[in-house]
Amino acid sequence: MPSVLSIVLLALAVTAPSTQDGEAPPILVTRQLAASEGLEQGQIIRLAPDSRGEGGRPFRIAGVYEPVPDPARLGTLPREVRLHLPDLLALTRLPDVPAGTEYVEAINIALVDPAEARNFARDLNARMPGVSARPAAEAAGSGATFQVLRRFHLAIALVTIIASTVFLLALTIMLVDERRETVGLLRLIGLPVRRILVQIFLEGLLIATAGGLIGLLLASASESLINAFFQWRYDTALVFVRITPYVAAACLAVAVPLGTIATVTASWVLLRRNALRLARR
Amino acid sequence: MNGPPSSLIVRAIGVSRQFTMPAGPVTAVRDVTLEIGAGEHAAIRGPSGCGKSTLLHMLGCVDSPTAGTLLFDGQDVSSLSDAARSRLRLRQIGFVFQRFFLLPMLTAAENVELPQAEAGAARDDRTRRTRELLEFVGLGARSDHRPSQLSGGEMQRVAIARALANRPRLLLADEPTGELDQSTGEQIAALLDRVNADGTALVIVTHDGVLADRARRVLMMKDGRIERESTR
Repeated sequence: MPSVLSIVLLALAVTAPSTQDGEAPPILVTRQLAASEGLEQGQIIRLAPDSRGEGGRPFRIAGVYEPVPDPARLGTLPREVRLHLPDLLALTRLPDVPAGTEYVEAINIALVDPAEARNFARDLNARMPGVSARPAAEAAGSGATFQVLRRFHLAIALVTIIASTVFLLALTIMLVDERRETVGLLRLIGLPVRRILVQIFLEGLLIATAGGLIGLLLASASESLINAFFQWRYDTALVFVRITPYVAAACLAVAVPLGTIATVTASWVLLRRNALRLARR
Repeated sequence: MNGPPSSLIVRAIGVSRQFTMPAGPVTAVRDVTLEIGAGEHAAIRGPSGCGKSTLLHMLGCVDSPTAGTLLFDGQDVSSLSDAARSRLRLRQIGFVFQRFFLLPMLTAAENVELPQAEAGAARDDRTRRTRELLEFVGLGARSDHRPSQLSGGEMQRVAIARALANRPRLLLADEPTGELDQSTGEQIAALLDRVNADGTALVIVTHDGVLADRARRVLMMKDGRIERESTR
């Protein structure tokens, strides 16, 4: 990617547009900025480094782009432009700073293959002493937005699983208790405990699998609905819910054994009782 | 000790049954010795709480004595695993209860077929046997009815058919006419007589003197013991 930088235009002012200056350098503006200021491709606008508009320069809108969604800035309208680095430097350089002496503390480099980030950083560090290159994920550290979100989701998932396990166990105990007469009768007829347990196990397995699959179907059906609502609400391309194969497999891996174990555990407690007492209720 | 050992089905030797209750232990059956032979027709009578049902449950391997020995076909029942004891109940013993205990979600035919299926009978054999049994108890035309669609007497007849499904050697009936009117009760008693006449040993626990008088052997229980025994 050429030397293109993205800056937040908190201090830059969009000034009176003109369509006459053909020499103005090209810039890209975010869809949200274009919509809020009524900008169109091909328009000439003036950008200035401060809100009073002093030292402003004309730029031509070469295109409108969808900004990379950032969950850390959810709810903030991304009023951003992308300029070529020399244009940005020319625009923001202080009057007493000679050209070529500017410096930046950090730049982000997008790679065609993000998996090559580590190798690229190692190569860059070797070639350019004094430059410290790191993959973005490492540079963000353990407090990176996505990592915090992931932990938050994990915590919610754990709490949900624990609460639903208790609920499930209570529910299965009630369901099994409703069938105590049947279980007692089967024992009286001569069905051994193991035979009834196997039956209950298979039943629990079937119900848990069906329940897990129905849950996944519901989640998949509501996925696009939830995303559409929040993307509309926050005017972002962020994906809020995504049912990946891994998520689906993890759901089934937790739900099926949990449901089956809950059913068998509840039944085992019942089956240990005297058959006559069960049948007599 | 009547009859040769081969005709003996169940033998209780000094069996007792004690229950642990919050107020302290309660002994329902005390030191009872009893034998039931093949084809026998016995009735156990006595006041409520005298332990007759508990004794019946022990004879049927549903409950275990806390003292004494119970032999079924000469084998100590206490040495049997749950699976072996269940198998014994499934194949050798039939139960008829006061409250019928039919599976409400199954039809009359399915209720009768269930123990046969569990015993591993082939589908054709099960169907034939079920039809025979329902004809035998007079419910051939109601095989597709669920228990909720049957009267008390009909439910008890289905219960008897189910109890006979695997051709048990011993049929145990606990107050089989207890929830039926007199006329229906007599029909059930007559049906049980026919079962016994076909060679199945029958032990009935009952308050009903008329039903007990149909038995060839009557055991009177009191306070957990067999107080006296009469035969005719």
